[in-house]
Amino acid sequence: MMPIVQWLGHSGVAQAIHNSSWLFPFIEIFHLLALALLGGSVIMVDLRFFGLVMTDKELPELSRDVQPWLRLSLAVILTSGFLLFISEAAKMYSNEAFRFKMLSLALALIFTFTIHARFTRSESGASFSGKLVALTSMALWACVGLGGRAIGFV
Amino acid sequence: MTAWFEWLANTPMSVSIRESLWGYPIIETVHVLGLCLFLGFTMLLDLRLLGLSMKRTPASEVCGKLEPWMVGGFAIMIVSGGLLFYGDPAKFYGSIFMRIKFAMLILAGVNVLIFKLGTYRRVKDWDLRDKTPSGAKIAAGLSLVLWFGIVAAGRAIAYFLPPG
Repeated sequence: MMPIVQWLGHSGVAQAIHNSSWLFPFIEIFHLLALALLGGSVIMVDLRFFGLVMTDKELPELSRDVQPWLRLSLAVILTSGFLLFISEAAKMYSNEAFRFKMLSLALALIFTFTIHARFTRSESGASFSGKLVALTSMALWACVGLGGRAIGFV
Repeated sequence: MTAWFEWLANTPMSVSIRESLWGYPIIETVHVLGLCLFLGFTMLLDLRLLGLSMKRTPASEVCGKLEPWMVGGFAIMIVSGGLLFYGDPAKFYGSIFMRIKFAMLILAGVNVLIFKLGTYRRVKDWDLRDKTPSGAKIAAGLSLVLWFGIVAAGRAIAYFLPPG
């Protein structure tokens, strides 16, 4: 893994971001905006499991409506996150918080597109297991966010 | 004004936020989580007003159902943001990006007010129409542009803090 990380870190794009005084915060703006849209989409669908928001819409319909924006925000947040990562590749690779974030991210993505997706397609959102799925989803995404916040502090 | 902020900076709570190890990270985390709730919902609402999301749901329903959450999210943003400012008021007051952020926040508020008192009053006429009226589109577009600017200015505050 380390050779790939080093190669990424030495690439032209990574060096350009690393050596620029404004590119890193500039990319962070898009990372944060995508975070808002992604977080908002996740929270809205998961709160709907509990019947707490958009109650006039059925869960499958709300989930379908939000889906394109969830995917767009994921594309933006993963791309911007990748660029931020490679600009500090070696440092990030050994950062405990970053590893925790990537592990949480992998789990959150898998969960969202498998179990969570199955529950949003059925009407069984209001069931106990549905609520458990919604809680798990919010907890996994919160771990990604907390891991991200912690990167700068460990 | 500067003297007042210096006095504020010397209040015990301001000192403890500034000097504690966990003060800033915890408040910042709350600020970012609040961002998801508030700005995420705002963006999805703006996209509805642009006719780009939840098209089959009446605009008034999206506005009405999201409003309590957006108000709550905004309260989280104001309280956590206020505490971040309170932790080092003299410094933040001197930041040009802080001032730009405040100016844009006020503009975003005025934008909501104009929309609510104008186009939104006649929402029943366009609630389920395919094309939302231009008043709604302008308000939503302005909101997205202003929030982009507010997030950008917020990032810039941290990167270009005046010394001291």
